[in-house]
Amino acid sequence: MKLKRGSISRKDLIFSVFCFMQGTVLRSGFIISVTRQESWVMAITGLLLSLPILAVYVKLLGNFPGKNLVEINEAVFGPVFGKILSALYLFFFVSLAALNTRDLGNFVVGFMMPETPLAAVVLIFLIGCAYALHKGVENLMHLSALLCIVAGGAVLVNSILILKDVQPEFLKPLFRLEFPKFVQGTVSVAAVPMGEILTFTMIAPMLEKDEKAAKPLLFGLILSAVSMAIVILRDIITLGPLVTVVSLPSFESVRYVSLAGILTRMESIYAAVLVTLFLFKVSILLYAFVLGLTQILSGKDRPQANPEDEGQSCETERTRSQISAPPLMLISVAFVFFYSLFVFESVMENINWGATAAPFFSLTFEFLLPAISLLTVCVRKTGKARRVKA
Amino acid sequence: MTKQAVGTNRNAFFSLSASLSRKCRKGARRGVMLLLCTLLAFCFCACSSQRELNTLAIVLGIGLDAGDQPDTLELTAQVVKASELGSGGSTRRSEFGSKAYVNLSYTDDSMLAAVRELTRTQNRRLYFSHNEVLIFSSDLAKKDMAEGLDAFTRDSETRMNVYVLIAKGKASEILEEEAELEKIPALHISGMMGNQQVNSETAVVTLRDFEIATLSGSTAPVAPMIESFESEGKKHVKLEGTAVFKQGKMIGTLDKAQTMGLQWVTNKIKSGQKTVNTPWGQVTLEILHSKSSLKPVKDGDGTVRMQLIVNEEGAIQSNETGKDMSRLENVEMLKELMKNAIRSDIESSLRQARALSADVFGFGDAIRREYPEEWEKMKKNWNMEFPKIDMDIELNVELRSTDELTKPVVPGGAQ
Repeated sequence: MKLKRGSISRKDLIFSVFCFMQGTVLRSGFIISVTRQESWVMAITGLLLSLPILAVYVKLLGNFPGKNLVEINEAVFGPVFGKILSALYLFFFVSLAALNTRDLGNFVVGFMMPETPLAAVVLIFLIGCAYALHKGVENLMHLSALLCIVAGGAVLVNSILILKDVQPEFLKPLFRLEFPKFVQGTVSVAAVPMGEILTFTMIAPMLEKDEKAAKPLLFGLILSAVSMAIVILRDIITLGPLVTVVSLPSFESVRYVSLAGILTRMESIYAAVLVTLFLFKVSILLYAFVLGLTQILSGKDRPQANPEDEGQSCETERTRSQISAPPLMLISVAFVFFYSLFVFESVMENINWGATAAPFFSLTFEFLLPAISLLTVCVRKTGKARRVKA
Repeated sequence: MTKQAVGTNRNAFFSLSASLSRKCRKGARRGVMLLLCTLLAFCFCACSSQRELNTLAIVLGIGLDAGDQPDTLELTAQVVKASELGSGGSTRRSEFGSKAYVNLSYTDDSMLAAVRELTRTQNRRLYFSHNEVLIFSSDLAKKDMAEGLDAFTRDSETRMNVYVLIAKGKASEILEEEAELEKIPALHISGMMGNQQVNSETAVVTLRDFEIATLSGSTAPVAPMIESFESEGKKHVKLEGTAVFKQGKMIGTLDKAQTMGLQWVTNKIKSGQKTVNTPWGQVTLEILHSKSSLKPVKDGDGTVRMQLIVNEEGAIQSNETGKDMSRLENVEMLKELMKNAIRSDIESSLRQARALSADVFGFGDAIRREYPEEWEKMKKNWNMEFPKIDMDIELNVELRSTDELTKPVVPGGAQ
């Protein structure tokens, strides 16, 4: 099934970005161990740092209306070099999908089902992702508003229930973080959850023709940053110095909820929400990978015959491709399954990667490559600028 | 004619094959859905990693004692016997002759080793999710509590809102008390801890609170003490005093008044009572509300001292004097007496903390939050600096009511 423009609305895109980020937001341990009680500030500075990154994507998408990242690469760099560059992006998408799948597996096995093999958890999770995509990525994105309400509501309810046990003085002293750690924290937040918005450059062409992707993506990011700041603030004032030694601060602070001995064990809600958010995120990443793979392997840059697009040359030029449920899905899922199993040997290795190499790895794909593309566009004056001149 | 027949046959063949292919696809789809459902069923707790109720030994209390051999510890797990939880409310034996709990003990090198070794004598696995209390013996607390603290925080089954207590004597003996109103000693102790806010004479500490203080580096962690005593041939327990820790080891104690002083400084007083001596006899004052604020202030010469402001509201709870305590001059006198009582508790706890050189009040953390530069200079030598820190105490006491009597009930009092 081909997707037309207008398959998703701006609201869908905003909520999808929020849900996409929220999975990582609820696993904020990676940042709190570095920036301690000032981690909530990183949500704001990380957002500010991610704005130039977002501007690059928006400029690229604006120059090539209706084209996704892979198509833009081909338009800018030609079929051969463009495909090579696209293959690098696809490696990034599939790596993120595998890393997030592994994170999900580690969470389920570590905190809920310690005797279940990791492979079983990962396999069933990926079957869920494949099924969601089989039903069409646009349907998944329509569901994002509901998921956003559930995830936001869970954070809100858990935060209210823990209020009686919090100590706001844990936030002090304010603004005493060493500069290198401040930079490390800001870059980590900008690169790891926020920069991953790159994935949406594969999805943004589904918006209405006249819609610009800039605003929905920006609002989605702002919503995520606010949610991240709230979650981290809650964890810090609940756990104090403990927040830097526990592996999942949000999980531990939610576990502490105990109201009148009745409202307890709220971590089950947290776990259910986290698994659903991971399913959403990995599905989007898988979609970006599979769509890109399909486009790279589909040969010539030819407009797809689409009866609804007949006579609309501009439309046919654009839609070669936003396929709802692209082929190669199952084989890609199988690939992610094995990739996620051998990507790390242990949770410790995973944490070490997250704290050291992950921001550099991510920024290469999230900022360096798109910036080169944009620079090339500006130098060669390809895309919209050239068409206007013609 | 023949061509027509061939054409018809071909059409029939194609429609048949199309229909068959549709059926096959439908069947395959159903098969895949069935397979998916079966696979998803493995996610349910009944299939994978299942822990059936009748295979679990649900632990409600843990006692940790130092083992007989060096570097060993004795784990005592109080496990509930659900079948004995019938009517009645004491730990006495049921009509079938057994208690509603069993204490399982094992001594080994580590917590996990002891837990796993217990399976060699029991058919059920210990399940810690419902644990309520974690009791360390004072002997173990004086040596090292790190093993127990780490194991009970790291494990995914245990929770950080369990109460931490220090037993005077053996922890396993505390779990053998014969409570009159509860069938399970651990639940009895947990209930007592929950009730301590009505007297505010016990420091109520959860595993989270204890670990936050431990991680702070300057604040000395505290935990309530519990002791066993015999009365009319039965073993009972009571909460008495507070244990003080430093560098992960118990170094001393605070008595009841000193504990209350600690509670005043750390803003933990919720309710309680104070009995004061007037020239005519004793009057008991109830604490209705209390709010304390502790903050460091810097003098002109750069020295840091602490400033404590306590705002307390109370009421006259009992009057044994026969005098009318609602008269304003008597109210002022009672307020002064209450201030003296509170000040006495606070100063007593401060003296003991200085003697132990243990910052039980969290002075260091307060200074670090307000004056980080000064704290950088003080933290290296905090053990020596802490006893030198002065504390200004400002007490604001209000008596709001005389409860339901305005004058005492004395013979002839109505005339």
